[in-house]
Amino acid sequence: MADTKQIQHLYWRAGFGMSPKEWATRRHWSRDKAIDELFRQSGKVAPLDSRDKGPDMTLAEFKKLSKTEQKRLQKQTKELMVTQNAKWVSRMADPKESPLLEKMCLFWHGHFACVSKNAKMAYHQLKTIRQYALGNFRDFVQSMAKDPSMIRFLNNQQNRKQQPNENFARELMELFTLGRGQYTEKDIKEAARAFTGWSSNIQGDFIFRKRQHDYGQKQFMGQRGNFDGDDIINIILDKKETALFISRKIYRFFVNEQVNEKRVKELGDYFYAQNYNIGKTMRYLFSSDWFYDPANMGNRIKSPVELFAGMMRQLKVEVKEDRSILFVEKALGQILFIPPNVAGWEGGKSWIDNSTLMIRLNLANLVFQETEVDFKVKEELTALKRSKSARKLKATIDLKPMLQVFGRTSEATLFEEIQSYLLSTPPQWTADFMRDFTVNRSKATQIKSLTVRLMTLPEYQLC
Amino acid sequence: MKRRHFLKNSALASSALMVPSFLKAFGGHSAGASRTGKILIIVQLSGGNDGLNTIVPYRNDLYYKYRPSLALGKEEVLRVSDDLGLHPAMTGLRELYDEGLLSIVNSVGYPNPNRSHFRSMDIWQTGSGSKENWTTGWIGRFLDNHCSGCEEAHYALEIDDSLSLAMKGYERSGFAMSKPMQLRKTTEVPFLKTLGEQYQNSADHSVDYLYKTMIDTQSSAQYLYQKSKVHRAKGNYPNTAFGNDVKLIAELITADADTQIYYVSLSGFDTHINQKAQQQRLLKQYAQAMKALISDLKAHNLLEDTLIMTFSEFGRRVKQNGSRGTDHGTANNLFLMGGALQQAGFYNDAPDLRYLDNGDLRYQIDFRNIYATIIEEWLEADARSILAGSFDRLALLNAR
Repeated sequence: MADTKQIQHLYWRAGFGMSPKEWATRRHWSRDKAIDELFRQSGKVAPLDSRDKGPDMTLAEFKKLSKTEQKRLQKQTKELMVTQNAKWVSRMADPKESPLLEKMCLFWHGHFACVSKNAKMAYHQLKTIRQYALGNFRDFVQSMAKDPSMIRFLNNQQNRKQQPNENFARELMELFTLGRGQYTEKDIKEAARAFTGWSSNIQGDFIFRKRQHDYGQKQFMGQRGNFDGDDIINIILDKKETALFISRKIYRFFVNEQVNEKRVKELGDYFYAQNYNIGKTMRYLFSSDWFYDPANMGNRIKSPVELFAGMMRQLKVEVKEDRSILFVEKALGQILFIPPNVAGWEGGKSWIDNSTLMIRLNLANLVFQETEVDFKVKEELTALKRSKSARKLKATIDLKPMLQVFGRTSEATLFEEIQSYLLSTPPQWTADFMRDFTVNRSKATQIKSLTVRLMTLPEYQLC
Repeated sequence: MKRRHFLKNSALASSALMVPSFLKAFGGHSAGASRTGKILIIVQLSGGNDGLNTIVPYRNDLYYKYRPSLALGKEEVLRVSDDLGLHPAMTGLRELYDEGLLSIVNSVGYPNPNRSHFRSMDIWQTGSGSKENWTTGWIGRFLDNHCSGCEEAHYALEIDDSLSLAMKGYERSGFAMSKPMQLRKTTEVPFLKTLGEQYQNSADHSVDYLYKTMIDTQSSAQYLYQKSKVHRAKGNYPNTAFGNDVKLIAELITADADTQIYYVSLSGFDTHINQKAQQQRLLKQYAQAMKALISDLKAHNLLEDTLIMTFSEFGRRVKQNGSRGTDHGTANNLFLMGGALQQAGFYNDAPDLRYLDNGDLRYQIDFRNIYATIIEEWLEADARSILAGSFDRLALLNAR
């Protein structure tokens, strides 16, 4: 049986909401049909545009260039990172792309939190994340352990036999797989030895430096052998605790910040039994009745990227300048490719303070009017000059889909219909109340101004 | 990442000072609470200020050996002791030093120093150890658990458009505002204003949380705007963004706003290239702003109730680099200013340039000892739970 609120819930949690057209057709679908379509779409995606990683060049080649040329390339790689960022958000919003895949990528990016320093590294990491986001978690971890951004971010570049650096091994276990308390300090030391020599070159490729690798016997989690990094990861994943730890993170992100340990165990057992098949586990999650428990619906604060991408999807927003997206991310506290630290984004209430809340509430207005916003984002700590404050959000919206879907709705039910589409939780405001704040000259102006107002309600922040 | 559970300490009663009646007369507006108790102002110098050229060991041969062209000459510096002098641009601070209103703590840092801006600033703002990744700030955690009578959203105020990690707690956060008029405009948009006025408490916790935050923001924005219009600050503030920020703090304090903690930052200290001019420009406005602020506090008899702490996320390397600048370093000096200092002048010895750690200064004092002192003696809260560890207090303050 179709329950529109449940379909809406599914699309917001497994994706970024629904475009007006999707709402018109899919809200009457059965859960199974909607889930099938989400997964079907996830298998039909185009690869990332490899031009966005910038030119391939060896260090020798780079050094031969003039200083001006070098500066230009450095500027270019920064711009390409912004491009990749903007394209990713656009994919989240685009009904022709896979919302499920992009949502999973967002989740995993926050899980394997790592700062990318240039376009090539960002591209490489995102490519890996996309490859495994719904794939096998074991393969995923092994791939991430060889990711150049990750290696450099967690100092594995400096991890060598003569002088081991434990940072990567520690975070691998504490944050990426087992969680605290499931291993000893000795385990970390031994694991670090296994990852020695796992390095990268300046071009951003994984390099195994034989002479830096410790080939000796290691003792790890009660087992003994000449382990290398892959072996360590295998031993870690053989432990059911890993499946449980990851399932808890999945639960917190996709279901409810307040964790239900019984459900986490159910999910963890399934994940482990399916040999860490992420796609199957997510399907299991979305198909479970408890996923649609009212206690789990409409109570999740959208992350900045989800908020903006969702709005883009609903208003068919086209961002004219990539930097506009970056500006919103900076102002709201979530910059793709630049998580605050290796623990990723905390989420939930931590997204909200007086400053971010006011920007969120006024975001729709900004998008609709392309007005200037007088807001200075915090500068990089390396900035020598204070940045300018006035910013324009260069974006256009296309309300035709909204008008097509709601154009023939009667005046009496218009508020109810649009509210039901835009909000995951019913507001306490009535149609009468809204009438005072909307332009009611024509159906079109009414739809437009109702949309802005509804997107300005605090309720719009929830999904 | 598991949340740490910081202990609630309900045993602590607020022993805020009662405002003497003659100060109440200055209060003016009766609407809204008035401040009682002590004020803490945190000044963040962002980018890693070069401490060695700020507090200069003008008699130390090693200083001149390591910095053949970058060192400041013994005739240039403002001598405050037999061995140490202030950067020549900081005349305002020299006066404060002479008046006993400045305490300089040398070689403040932490074990296993991190030379990344990102990481080190996070460490300072969260109060964590250098291997940990905490997601809340020390002021935020103070707000969470230890502040009785601080229901106002603007109890801790950052002069900026967005909030630093230092000010974010698990449950509560500080308040960010760079321009009172601008914030008020944003919050008083008619639609939002009406929502705030007519909101009925929702049973839905998430909805209620968002509305309450919005309403608190509107209320604080209005309050701060009113206070900012009183205009009692008469000090000579530099005409820069930072000068204006500090002046705003002075306006609010002298208008008797009930904010107790202020946070403000000055950027631009990452002087890898051509350090001299850049640092000179910054320290000049910093010193001038501090002098002006102190003068306003003095004029309103608020010096004993105010403590200003200035820090930077790290110092810089002892040896100058090849671009007439310096690279990221480790330990740095930290300033305390106000009328309640236990030890004016230098708290401890200058860094020893003979015993460096791979070219970097070794820290003598862990910054968390300073935080602990401020938390316990100035904010009257439980440092151990806020810092998740025991850090001895230092004889820095004379809080009454």
